[in-house]
Amino acid sequence: MLMDKLQYADVNNDIVRSLTVTGKRYYITLGISASLTLLCFFFPWFYQLYYGIGAAGMNHPGVWGTYLASFIFWIGLSHSGTLLSCVLHLTNSEWRKAMYRSAEAMTLFSLMVAATMVMVHVGRPWFIHWAAPYPNQMGMWPNFRSPLLFDVMAIATYLTGSSIFIYMGSIPDFAAVRDRTTGWRHHMYVLMSLGWRGTDTQWHRLNWAYTFLAVLIIPLAVSVHSIVSWDFAMSIVPSLHQTIFAPYFVVGAIYSGTAGIVTVMFVLRKYMNFEQYITKVHFDNLGKLLLVLSLIWTYINMLELFTAWYSGTSTEYEALKYKLFGYYAPLYWEMILFCAVAPLLLISKRFRTSYVPMLILSIAVNIGMYTERFLIVGTSLSRQYLPDAWGVYVPSLVEISILFGSLAMFTTMFLIFVKIFPSVSIYEVKETMHVPTKRPANRPDGEGAAQWQTT
Amino acid sequence: MSFFERFTSKWEKYRKPGYYDEFDYAWTMTVDLDSCTGCGACVTACQAENNIPIVGEKQLAKGREMQWIRIERYWEGAYPNARLSFIPMLCQHCDAAPCETVCPVSATYHNQDGLNTQVYNRCIGTRSCAVYCPYEVRYFNYNNHHWDTPLDQQLNPDVTVREKGVMEKCTFCIQRIRQAKDHAKDDGRRRVRDGEVQPACVQTCPTEALVFGNRKDPDSQVSKKMNDPRAYRVLDELNTRSSVVYLKKVDANG
Amino acid sequence: MANIDRRDFIKLVGAGSVSAGAGFVLAQSIKHPVEHLIPYPVPPEDFSPGIATWYNSVCSMCTAGCGITVRTREGRAKKIEGNPSHPVNQGRLCALGQAGLQVLYNPDRLIAPMMQTGDRGSNSFVQTTWDDGMSRVAERLTALREAGRGDRVCFLSDGTRGHLADVFSRFMEQLGSDRLINYDFAHPGTLYAANQHFFGAQYLPYYDLQNTRYLLSFGADYLGNWISPVHHGLGFGRSRDAGRGSRGRFVQVEPRMSISGAAADEWIPARPGTEGVLALGLAQHILASGAYAGEDLDSWTTALEPYSIEAVAEQTGLTEDTIGRLAQNFMYSEASLAIGGGAAANHSNGVDTLVAINALNYLAGNVGKSGGLMFNPAPAFEPKTKTRPAGYQAMAKFARDAAQGRIDVLILNQANPLHTLPAATGLREALEKIPMIVSLSSFADETTALADLVLPSHTYLESWGDDFPEPGVGFQLGSVSQPVVSPLYNTRATGDIILELAHRMGLSEAIPWSNMEHRLKDGWQELYESGSEDAPENDFEAFWMSVVEAGVWGKPTDAETLTFSVNREVIETIGMAAPEFAGDSESYPFLLHPYLSNSLHDGRGANLPWMQELPDAMTSVVYGSWVEMNPATARTLGLEEGDLVEVTSTEGSITAPILIFPAIMPDVIAMPIGQGHTEYGRYAKDRGVNPIQILAPKLESKTGDLAWGATRVALVATGRQAKLVKTGGVSRELGRDIIQTTGSAAPAEHHAAVTSIPIKVMPS
Ligand SMILES: Nc1nc2c(c(=O)[nH]1)N[C@H]1C(S)=C(S)[C@@H](COP(=O)(O)OP(=O)(O)OC[C@H]3O[C@@H](n4cnc5c(=O)[nH]c(N)nc54)[C@H](O)[C@@H]3O)O[C@H]1N2
Ligand SMILES: Nc1nc2c(c(=O)[nH]1)N[C@H]1C(S)=C(S)[C@@H](COP(=O)(O)OP(=O)(O)OC[C@H]3O[C@@H](n4cnc5c(=O)[nH]c(N)nc54)[C@H](O)[C@@H]3O)O[C@H]1N2
Ligand code: SF4
Ligand code: SF4
Ligand code: SF4
Ligand code: SF4
Ligand code: SF4
Repeated sequence: MLMDKLQYADVNNDIVRSLTVTGKRYYITLGISASLTLLCFFFPWFYQLYYGIGAAGMNHPGVWGTYLASFIFWIGLSHSGTLLSCVLHLTNSEWRKAMYRSAEAMTLFSLMVAATMVMVHVGRPWFIHWAAPYPNQMGMWPNFRSPLLFDVMAIATYLTGSSIFIYMGSIPDFAAVRDRTTGWRHHMYVLMSLGWRGTDTQWHRLNWAYTFLAVLIIPLAVSVHSIVSWDFAMSIVPSLHQTIFAPYFVVGAIYSGTAGIVTVMFVLRKYMNFEQYITKVHFDNLGKLLLVLSLIWTYINMLELFTAWYSGTSTEYEALKYKLFGYYAPLYWEMILFCAVAPLLLISKRFRTSYVPMLILSIAVNIGMYTERFLIVGTSLSRQYLPDAWGVYVPSLVEISILFGSLAMFTTMFLIFVKIFPSVSIYEVKETMHVPTKRPANRPDGEGAAQWQTT
Repeated sequence: MSFFERFTSKWEKYRKPGYYDEFDYAWTMTVDLDSCTGCGACVTACQAENNIPIVGEKQLAKGREMQWIRIERYWEGAYPNARLSFIPMLCQHCDAAPCETVCPVSATYHNQDGLNTQVYNRCIGTRSCAVYCPYEVRYFNYNNHHWDTPLDQQLNPDVTVREKGVMEKCTFCIQRIRQAKDHAKDDGRRRVRDGEVQPACVQTCPTEALVFGNRKDPDSQVSKKMNDPRAYRVLDELNTRSSVVYLKKVDANG
Repeated sequence: MANIDRRDFIKLVGAGSVSAGAGFVLAQSIKHPVEHLIPYPVPPEDFSPGIATWYNSVCSMCTAGCGITVRTREGRAKKIEGNPSHPVNQGRLCALGQAGLQVLYNPDRLIAPMMQTGDRGSNSFVQTTWDDGMSRVAERLTALREAGRGDRVCFLSDGTRGHLADVFSRFMEQLGSDRLINYDFAHPGTLYAANQHFFGAQYLPYYDLQNTRYLLSFGADYLGNWISPVHHGLGFGRSRDAGRGSRGRFVQVEPRMSISGAAADEWIPARPGTEGVLALGLAQHILASGAYAGEDLDSWTTALEPYSIEAVAEQTGLTEDTIGRLAQNFMYSEASLAIGGGAAANHSNGVDTLVAINALNYLAGNVGKSGGLMFNPAPAFEPKTKTRPAGYQAMAKFARDAAQGRIDVLILNQANPLHTLPAATGLREALEKIPMIVSLSSFADETTALADLVLPSHTYLESWGDDFPEPGVGFQLGSVSQPVVSPLYNTRATGDIILELAHRMGLSEAIPWSNMEHRLKDGWQELYESGSEDAPENDFEAFWMSVVEAGVWGKPTDAETLTFSVNREVIETIGMAAPEFAGDSESYPFLLHPYLSNSLHDGRGANLPWMQELPDAMTSVVYGSWVEMNPATARTLGLEEGDLVEVTSTEGSITAPILIFPAIMPDVIAMPIGQGHTEYGRYAKDRGVNPIQILAPKLESKTGDLAWGATRVALVATGRQAKLVKTGGVSRELGRDIIQTTGSAAPAEHHAAVTSIPIKVMPS
């Protein structure tokens, strides 16, 4: 059904070529993104380490800012990758197979960027290890009651789980690449493929372990973003102290993550020559998913407004008023436009199957979702209990630069990844293909479909 | 003892109502809003006592004031019936302090005297305590501060100078409490006398609006003030069980 | 009445300190003069590392004369607190007093003698030696003195009192000059005049706020700046805390709410300049109600006839209800008191106003009564020739004389008239004409910047001195200030400089003292001998030591019972002249209400970073100047917070941002005094504007003092914006019940909130 004209060998060749044959364009892109990472992320960060968090725009009471917003954003983005991959794996969704590897990679890198954002956020990152429970002479432990500590643990677990998951799923492909490469690459893949030979026992164990992890990761992913939401919801800040926050964050995460996948897939399709593997079907399905998520997200947002209004307390009400009509109101309405209104276009199948509009929408959704995170942090802290302590927080240049730098860092990591990991799963793509015939050109439609094969 | 038993016994110990009763002190401040004139002497006294930095106009313009005690002002009504009231706002040393639960490294915790303490050395600067504190009395060191020489000679040797990246706030002048306890010990007394500890702000308040002492001593001045029918706590509905008790302003028309 | 104060004083003194006789007290410890920075190998007796030593002294940040005790560690001053034994402040200090350390440790202090080598004001100073500097001055002064032209020397000081003022006056006397001017912008000159006129009292009375149950303040910001704010704060707090039923009530009459207005139970904006009319209206009401049964009832009735409630309502713009209510309360309160100051005392009819207030107090029977006003005895010590602070007229005369070349040498001591006098006096040009300006100031302020020779003094924390607070607290009182640290720099005590000059000029016979400590001891010996019958016999040293240790000495005599009867002539002339303003109301539609900043005072606090960073009490603004405007007026003019406006009087204009202020009359704008320095160190320089500069030279009609509340101004929006740096956010409670209030009646039930705090009885 998919990729009609492809042969197994083509798959192998195409994908291995993506690893071994590197054009000038790749190096230029990598060079640019690596320099941007250095220039926009690391330099400002080093300056901030030297000067203090004051290099950012945070103040009293706006003690949290874009770094934390970025943190939630990247954690959110990390969600759809592995989580989606797991769900789709368990539901045997065939269309998952061409995209899941890059989606999982996205998870991994977003988590890494998120962890870096934590380092950027805290005042004394050189002591960040104190937040980890490690045995020490002084008997000093972190505070196990702190949602921030839950966070550290949840993210560490999720990062570990996702890393194992992506690695495990790639073992057969490493083996495939190993068999088609020479020189240092060959040696590297020999190590990475962990002695994979494709025996039945190996396949059996891999499948079992893979499914087991998939089952494990789903609740983990849900819990990670629930816990991230608790950083906020467990405070008593008006408009943050809300029971809806956990599902709100999870939905938001999957929402922005899904949109992120659309963006990444567009790029892979276009620039890595995966046109034949990533098709309208994928965009159509992701589009539907996005639409559903956008509706749930919108619902929760309206609920938030409603409860604030209905509470009748000055604290909630003022926070609401500030969000809708205050200093950052334009951003709020931008978010509504991008995340609640524009996605309604997805009702149309034609829209869902058009690449460029889908790309634009997916980017818009993520801009909107970033805005959402910014507003959660920025507007809530501006309007707390004591009006005399109200204030406005405005991000500084350093912060904005680090935000873009983090995008560049993400891109850089991704670019390196696509040269090491087969970014489309070789074996699983083959699973979706027709059984090869001697003369593929004459193969009648429908014949031999759905015959699941292994390499 | 198994780990679990040890754990539960500790948990019990800290959770048990009345845990703090074993200790001699529960430091408390009362603030009489009927006498506070908003003069700001307490603000400067605290700044002098506790090495609170001079942040400069630029930083203030960014909203980075550093004043462990600040005077909040609230207007009511319009001209010619406009009225202004002041309320000194400092760390309330909440017995159920929201800031304490969130600190991932326990840099801020409750001590046995009922103080919400802040361990600068341990703080990693997440600033979450400041978010969780509903009274907004936590101040963060956004940069290293500088005292133009020889202003640095004024720095109080009994109080740490905080570096960039750490949170700070009112300590109820813990260094003075410490000193008073030492004196009591030297004198062979078990406890400090009422009035022996005077935080800098209380000490200087020209209208005697601020009173400090031990609420476990029923005869102390604060205990008496707390029993005034005017006593209330700010944001009591949040159940922070604060140790700063305000006395209501009296509304008597001229 | 005064007995109460005396007993209080003794109680105060007795608490926790050794009392070596009833007349004087010991408090903590004594400072031995330390000549060098801590000589660690042989530390002084009172020095132990890690242990704080406290020295008592006197605050000289304003003229209230609060007692201080300074905590030192390892020879460095670390904290200033109020001296608990000092009757003026009883352990308390205001913010400015707290900030005294930043005078001592100010990075912009003048640290050595300097000579101007370039043009005046060009700041091309080069350091010189004390010997060189002193001999230059001595030579010049000797030449003038010998030529019989000593009167061409002018000595301009801030509000100095005590033996230092005595040294100044003796020195000037020897020079043959009567140009010793003690200028303080905040000096209540009109109050002295009004009291002299009405009571025949030479000294300010004691205002017994502590026992007042109804205070009516006409423009006096007694909790902010007026006369002795810490002492008044104590009185205010105690009156408020007097318990249910007898809690004191406070009413403030002023066009712009001051911190005293905010603290008051009622704030009443009466038309500026008509405060006295209101006072007379109340007095008339009291007379009419028959509550006055004293002498001269007829004269009073006649004198006050024009001040019927209707007429007063008409003139003041207040309702008859309000006036009636105030009169009732004033009359029937347990103890009532009226005071006047601030702009109300500094209109063209300022003395009239204050006399009217005195009349009100008199008719309500508040004179010489607990909770009212009581007369102070003469200070225990006064300089040889009285050096009471001079008002504007003395400064104006000085400026005229200087401009006409009648002054050859000006000696400046801490005074900075270029900042605290309106530009209209022409002082800057006049100073240009003075051939030699010598400054003894500790900072390069605007006036010192014009000096030819700078001989910088120690700060008050490095010098010996004494003070006799005026007004006192009902009995005789003296405080001694001692150096609490070794001098930081190559500076000298002001007194020592003058004494040495005297020696160099060969005046040792008339001025025999070698240094200030010597002068003090001599002076205090006289005090000791002249009346301390309860002091240890023939042991001045012990007396002196105990006074220095305690920082304060009091002679609990019964207060002066000044017998007076109000002169019929005084009664007949009572009345309010209509206020006059500079500038017509057409071209200058707003009245400018300048007020002393709570933290910067008249500008002297502007070089202290703590004071710059102390949010203004009423507005929370830091580091700047602003123009306060009624919200309705701003709406009409389309102005918003931060809009820069040009404020123009007949004398000039300044530009500052608008701040919307809810409690100011619609046709009045207010500006804080304190900023707008063009010199005076890094924290003060080029920050904000100085409203004094544009004041018109309108005079108070009876004293010739500056009527600084009488300048009208025009406002022009510049179209530009400036960020007003404020620490406060939104100053409305929004129904959150943050500041809770209760009625004055006792509630039936105990409030629940606080019973929930567990109170555990301590195990014994
Ligand atoms: N883990 C670890 N252990 C260390 C070190 C380390 O860095 N890490 N450092 C080592 C070093 S360098 C040192 S010097 C030692 C210090 O170890 P100790 O000598 O044990 O030092 P302290 O415990 O500070 O002080 C000892 C006691 O002296 C008392 N004391 C204070 N003043 C006096 C006095 O005037 N007279 C008398 N009789 N007693 C007084 C104090 O109250 C205290 O109880 O620790 C060593 N141990
Ligand atoms: N607050 C506080 N202050 C104290 C004390 C206290 O108890 N509390 N104790 C006092 C006492 S008793 C002492 S002895 C002093 C100690 O004061 P310091 O001598 O400052 O002691 P440390 O911080 O232990 O060590 C100093 C540095 O030496 C480095 N170092 C370790 N091994 C080597 C080495 O082989 N070569 C070199 N070049 N460097 C090395 C360490 O990493 C560290 O940075 O502190 C005194 N000050
Ligand atoms: S010192 Fe006292 S009166 Fe002044 S602001 Fe502080 S609490 Fe209020
Ligand atoms: S007032 Fe704020 S900082 Fe102080 S204990 Fe309570 S929550 Fe913590
Ligand atoms: S800022 Fe410091 S004290 Fe506050 S939560 Fe973070 S680590 Fe704890
Ligand atoms: S108790 Fe001490 S630390 Fe707290 S506000 Fe007062 S002076 Fe500052
Ligand atoms: S009122 Fe303030 S500045 Fe004036 S003497 Fe007293 S403490 Fe010093």
